[in-house]
Amino acid sequence: MKKLFNAALLFVFALAVLSCSGSNSYDRPHQLKIYNWADYIDESLLEEFEDWYYAQTGDRVEIIYQTFDINEVMLAKIEKGQADYDLVCPSDYIIERMINRGLALPLDRNYGFVPDYTANVAPFVIENFNRMNTPGSNANDYSVGYMWGTVGFMYNEKYVDRSEVSSWSAILNPKFEQKLFMKDAFRDVYSPLLIYINSDKIADGTVDVDDLMYDVSDESIAQVEAILAEAKKNVSGWEADFGKEMMTQEKAWVNWTWSGDAMWAIHEAEDIGVQLNYVIPDEGSNCFFDGWIIPKYAVNVKAANYFINYMCMSENAIRNMDVTGYVSVIATDEVLQAQMEQALEQPHYAEVVDVSYFFGPEADSVVLNPIYYPDASSMARCAMMHDTDQDTEKLLKMWSRVKGDNLDAKMLVLIGVVVVAVVVAAVMRSKKNKSRRKSGKKR
Amino acid sequence: MGKIKQFFGRRSSWSIPYLIFMLIFVVLPLILVVFYAFRSPQGGFTLDNIKTFINEKESVNTLLYSIGIALINTAICILLGYPAAYILSSSRFSSSSVMVALFLIPMFINVLMRTLATVALFGFIHVPLGQATLIFGMVYNYLPFMILPIYTVLQKLDRSYIEAAQDLGADSMRVFFRVTLPLSMPGVVSGIMMVFMPTISTFAIAELLTMNNIKLFGTIIQENINNGMWNYGALLSLIMLILIVLTNLFNEDKEEASAAGGLI
Amino acid sequence: MKRNFLAKAYIWLLLILLYAPMVIIGVFSFTEAKVLGNWTGFSVGLYKSLFTSGAHEALMSALLNTLIIGLVASTLATALGTVSAIGIFNLRNKRFKAAMNTMNNIPILNADIITGVSLFLLFVSLGVTQGYVTLTLCHVTFCTPYVVLSVMPRLKQMNPNTFEAALDLGATPSQALRKVILPQIKSGMVSGFLLSFILSIDDFEVSVFNVGTNGLQTLSTFIYADSRKGGLTPELRPMITITFVVILAILIIMNLRTKTNTQTKTLK
Repeated sequence: MKKLFNAALLFVFALAVLSCSGSNSYDRPHQLKIYNWADYIDESLLEEFEDWYYAQTGDRVEIIYQTFDINEVMLAKIEKGQADYDLVCPSDYIIERMINRGLALPLDRNYGFVPDYTANVAPFVIENFNRMNTPGSNANDYSVGYMWGTVGFMYNEKYVDRSEVSSWSAILNPKFEQKLFMKDAFRDVYSPLLIYINSDKIADGTVDVDDLMYDVSDESIAQVEAILAEAKKNVSGWEADFGKEMMTQEKAWVNWTWSGDAMWAIHEAEDIGVQLNYVIPDEGSNCFFDGWIIPKYAVNVKAANYFINYMCMSENAIRNMDVTGYVSVIATDEVLQAQMEQALEQPHYAEVVDVSYFFGPEADSVVLNPIYYPDASSMARCAMMHDTDQDTEKLLKMWSRVKGDNLDAKMLVLIGVVVVAVVVAAVMRSKKNKSRRKSGKKR
Repeated sequence: MGKIKQFFGRRSSWSIPYLIFMLIFVVLPLILVVFYAFRSPQGGFTLDNIKTFINEKESVNTLLYSIGIALINTAICILLGYPAAYILSSSRFSSSSVMVALFLIPMFINVLMRTLATVALFGFIHVPLGQATLIFGMVYNYLPFMILPIYTVLQKLDRSYIEAAQDLGADSMRVFFRVTLPLSMPGVVSGIMMVFMPTISTFAIAELLTMNNIKLFGTIIQENINNGMWNYGALLSLIMLILIVLTNLFNEDKEEASAAGGLI
Repeated sequence: MKRNFLAKAYIWLLLILLYAPMVIIGVFSFTEAKVLGNWTGFSVGLYKSLFTSGAHEALMSALLNTLIIGLVASTLATALGTVSAIGIFNLRNKRFKAAMNTMNNIPILNADIITGVSLFLLFVSLGVTQGYVTLTLCHVTFCTPYVVLSVMPRLKQMNPNTFEAALDLGATPSQALRKVILPQIKSGMVSGFLLSFILSIDDFEVSVFNVGTNGLQTLSTFIYADSRKGGLTPELRPMITITFVVILAILIIMNLRTKTNTQTKTLK
């Protein structure tokens, strides 16, 4: 037994030493550290990039790929920890924040003999990046888009008719009592509700949707809060990631979520005979972009730039879309062809849409999946959110008031009883000790 | 020279390495937390964070609620765990260490997977997710932390005390409440420490088993940190720490008394 | 006899409740649905996919990291915690003892995320690159208090005079430690080790801030990142089922070995 124990101890220390030595064969200047969302890339492309990069530049590179789950944690590591990632893929508002806080390096589009594939990015996306709130800089000089999507309602077609979820007011519909999942992300709820409140003004042109995305005034927050407070009785759960899964199990009929989540759920639900769909309400909505950006403390800047370029190649964009189920910002003819073919495979979801805003003027009536590529009429009232930075606190407080707390009378009584019991026990014990000492009993 | 040797020979000096370790890895980070708690995001000393906490009804209520859940969880863990530890340590099972290991094996599975499986389980038996499922999930997660310390203490309980009590004419009830229970108190206290406080700061179990309808204090801290509000998050954590250190000091007096009392 | 039966039944009932979720994971490892709880027909596809090289390298490497860090951190924590528990237990100065105990409890009381963030800031301000070693140290930090709490009750239970008696009988302090104290607190050490291991495997918040930038992932950071965009990798289910079955098998084998050992002993 003792021998076994000693052997085990030796084994553990061997492991420790082994782990310390590390398995990186390349030195830091030849590594490319990428920090991305999970399941957000065709991972076979990583190895292929290493070969492609060597072929194009004669330099060796080894990709170290890490995944994160929350934008702000990723940012904290870079901002507070000077993390030396070469490439990260944050959401639009974090791109704004990084540029504004000087945490990003400008892109270098000098790709040697390699053509500049970043020109494949849809002008629609470039336009949105132009509108990013980065005074003194243009976001397109720092970042290239990767994937994009919209916010809307995923719904179960068996119980819900499309017309019932074509307005954000659906969250107030008593039919959906306890059958509604809300996305637990205050930004993605605040912006669309703001659009809903101002939908008349948007329709007649007094308010511009993009300007509205800057509105974090107290009145607007109060208005949104009022609606959410009323909608709360319908809400069965505030989901960050389990919504898409539970929708396939019909635990709820409507889910306020992103288009990417919806497509994932639709595919999964098909396998078990549940029919889901997704719609952007008529009043308008949020469109979001994830983009590549090179953080300030990057070391292998050259490889980072080449990687961004590599991601913009048509065939790679198609592969990434296939594997992840999200929509790329690349708008080449090949992508359009591939998407048209894919749409035909799911005829239930295929529609004739005007995607000229994305693929160019010839694409004004093509058969595509509108969940991936919404019609121009929907996109006309969609805007990208901006970084609320210092005002984040206000929104977070509103959100916390809406979700409320769970303290009820029963719990207070319980706590009170326990506190009293503990105090009484302590008093009794000290009295007992005192009387013991008094009567002279020794321990 | 002799005094130095004497110093290192004493067992109390064995606490020195840990003291140094804790100074670096516990105290220093704690000072950083205090530092953050009293600064505003723009830099500069401020007491605003405290004011925010007092004014924000939800935070205070959530703290109270979390304490309530922790009390319930600890109580149920003791009610379920003590008998389990008692039975396991008695001679009823031929190889009790195996049985104890059986209680631990589910814990080798990652907590997120366990909790998701519990969610699926409740889905199958059509139990709505809410406070009841939360408590079940908490007990499920923390039961081994209560069973183990009580079990280790009960295992090596000096049987002669029990036999002496029996010889003196006590029935099994009296033997248990007057001899076994007090002697096993150190294990129970350890169990309470390892269950009560961590329950307040758990968030993953609450998120999944109540579909995020119930927030515990740990969730609030996590939300603040994850949204970049490190100052407020640090303060909330400090408040929790202070509250519990106070009850801990209070507990210390009780503990000394009960440990001594057990030997009478 | 009836009490015996009730007692055993109680234990088995608890165990059934504890294992029910495991059974669910096991059952649903035999279907290819992405969501746990959906059944799309019997299939061993996930098992095949799990072992196809390259397909789930990240997952397997995360699992390996978790196991290594868990074992190393638990061992270190057990060693440090046991020595420290003995040290704290023997402190005379009441106030110093209380201070040590309070400091010891802080990692238990603190929310994980605060421990994670504060350790992250510590390493940043010290200018230490983060990786395997720093992450293991972080795990030791929050595991050691649990070892101390597991060993302490046994120390309190121990007859305080046996150590002195051993010294009087001519043993050196280290002999007295090994032959007198350690055997009595051994189960506390084992218990502390197991609790440390469990905590280390499950840890997310401390790990997520302290993994560094060299591609280190633990099972927790992998799973949490995974559940955000694309839903949990379904291959987790067979992986967990296999881990579970392997551990159970080891346990049964060890149990059988000790049983035959005791049998041969009694025969002699």
